Amino acid sequence: MANYWNQEIECMPYEDMKKLQSERLVAQVKHVYENVEYYRNLMDEKGVKPEDIQSVDDLHKLPFLTKADLRDAYPYGLLAKPLSDCVRIQSTSGTTGKRVVAFYTQNDIELWENCCARAIVAAGGTKDDVCQVAYGYGLFTGGPGLNGGSHKVGCLTLPMSSGNTERQIGFMRDLGSTILCCTPSYAAYIGETLHEMGLTPDDISLKAGIFGAEPWTEEMRKSIEASLDIKAYDIYGLTETSGPGVSFECCEQTGMHINEDHFIPEIIDPETGEVLPEGEVGELVFTSITKEAFPLLRYRTRDLCVLSRKKCSCGRTLIKMRKPMGRSDDMLIIRGVNVFPSQIETVLIEQGYSPNYLIEVDRVNNTDTLDISVEMNPEQFSDKMKVMQEKEKALALAIKTMLGINPKVHLVSPKSITRSEGKAVRVIDKRKLHD
Amino acid sequence: MANAKQISVFVDNKPNQLTGVMALLKDSGINVRALSLADTSDFGILRMVVNDTDKAEKVLKNASYAVTVTEIVAITIPDSPGQLSRVLDILGAENVNLEYLYAFTGASDKSVSFVIRVDDIKHASDALTKGGIIQLTEQDLSD
Repeated sequence: MANYWNQEIECMPYEDMKKLQSERLVAQVKHVYENVEYYRNLMDEKGVKPEDIQSVDDLHKLPFLTKADLRDAYPYGLLAKPLSDCVRIQSTSGTTGKRVVAFYTQNDIELWENCCARAIVAAGGTKDDVCQVAYGYGLFTGGPGLNGGSHKVGCLTLPMSSGNTERQIGFMRDLGSTILCCTPSYAAYIGETLHEMGLTPDDISLKAGIFGAEPWTEEMRKSIEASLDIKAYDIYGLTETSGPGVSFECCEQTGMHINEDHFIPEIIDPETGEVLPEGEVGELVFTSITKEAFPLLRYRTRDLCVLSRKKCSCGRTLIKMRKPMGRSDDMLIIRGVNVFPSQIETVLIEQGYSPNYLIEVDRVNNTDTLDISVEMNPEQFSDKMKVMQEKEKALALAIKTMLGINPKVHLVSPKSITRSEGKAVRVIDKRKLHD
Repeated sequence: MANAKQISVFVDNKPNQLTGVMALLKDSGINVRALSLADTSDFGILRMVVNDTDKAEKVLKNASYAVTVTEIVAITIPDSPGQLSRVLDILGAENVNLEYLYAFTGASDKSVSFVIRVDDIKHASDALTKGGIIQLTEQDLSD
């Protein structure tokens, strides 16, 4: 039996949702036009007036916002409320260039935490659960978002933040944590550490994990689920729209329901900006229709993804987004081929290697090189050189089959690649250093 | 009689990798009787015969090394011309496929010992026994 945090919204027929979205959108466009000079100028340039937006069907008329706009407008240029009405600032991790700061009114915090509460309930959370939040706390939205959602649901909340893994496991055992919230790479590390400490999932009470803030694969999901004996649910969000909780997975685990009463999604052709029909792969664009302080309209996420309104067995009618295939920022173009680190991760896990790896791209004599360091799996280690070299070759071939380009695979010692407690650094593109 | 055992360790082809393994063995009071290192540009396989294989395995695994223990044939032969050739002839006549071998100091300065890695230990061991070659047991190597 499925549980909902806000059944009326989560299971609302699409016609009603569209009406709600349209009302909110019209009011939001007016709010932004009146209060955000930066966006007013963009609308004026495009010749769009607030009256031109009468429903969600008119959304495509609005100009896009990009990360570059956020940089130009830093820090206050996109603020739609006086600072005296704002109560919080969060900021991006700055993994891809300059930081972005987002502002929140009390209502913005409220709606964000409610979005996270929907995610926790969808993962089976109730007020009887002990929710261990091992996302970083601070400017990063992961910790504060899930912390707030957990409070709303009424879980006993353990605000651990990330790091000190043995202590995480110690608390998990002593206090009987049932839900773990962190990045998937940290969840994998916690699983690894648990087994290293000579413990098994029987020694802990976890039943579910809510993992996000970085791309991860189905193979990684299976491996985390096995090592911690839990159900692992994906959660998606970005600081620009609020933080985690823009979308979340339900029991079906086949994509994330978007909280579209707050965030209207669109999929566009990243080249032309044209809106694409449901089911096609393109760049995900969000319009915040309820946020007060930092309401981004048609914000281009750079995440490549597919939307689907197919009926979900959980009963929710909220539109679903497939796991992003990768952020266009993460995409590497190597010898003209588009490569996502997640593709390499898929092959590694399939072949029995750890999801800790390091991709190094460089340019030697005008040719791109792809080097992948992979940790040796102790179970597969052999004293015979022939066997080891065959393993390296087999892995390189499997990656070549997936990507279409030849990598150089380097087997390295177990645990020699730095573990991440937050967002994992898996790619070093040395070509950028030469530019 | 128990066949002699070899412990192999995956090491990165970077400075100080061997040092790390040796320091662990030193701290645990383990004596290395025989050692060989095979390497590629990325990694090496350190193969050793030690006086306490179980302990060495435990210590290295605890330190997160990739480790494997295999049975090997260890022989000791006189330190004079033609002796290794005689051993290889015996194995060759029986069609035993040799993966690798390496030498180590013998029990006296008149003898030399070898670790021989084959797939079919029993087959190799029987052939060597028949040919009159002295084999070292786990017991011999742990003294």
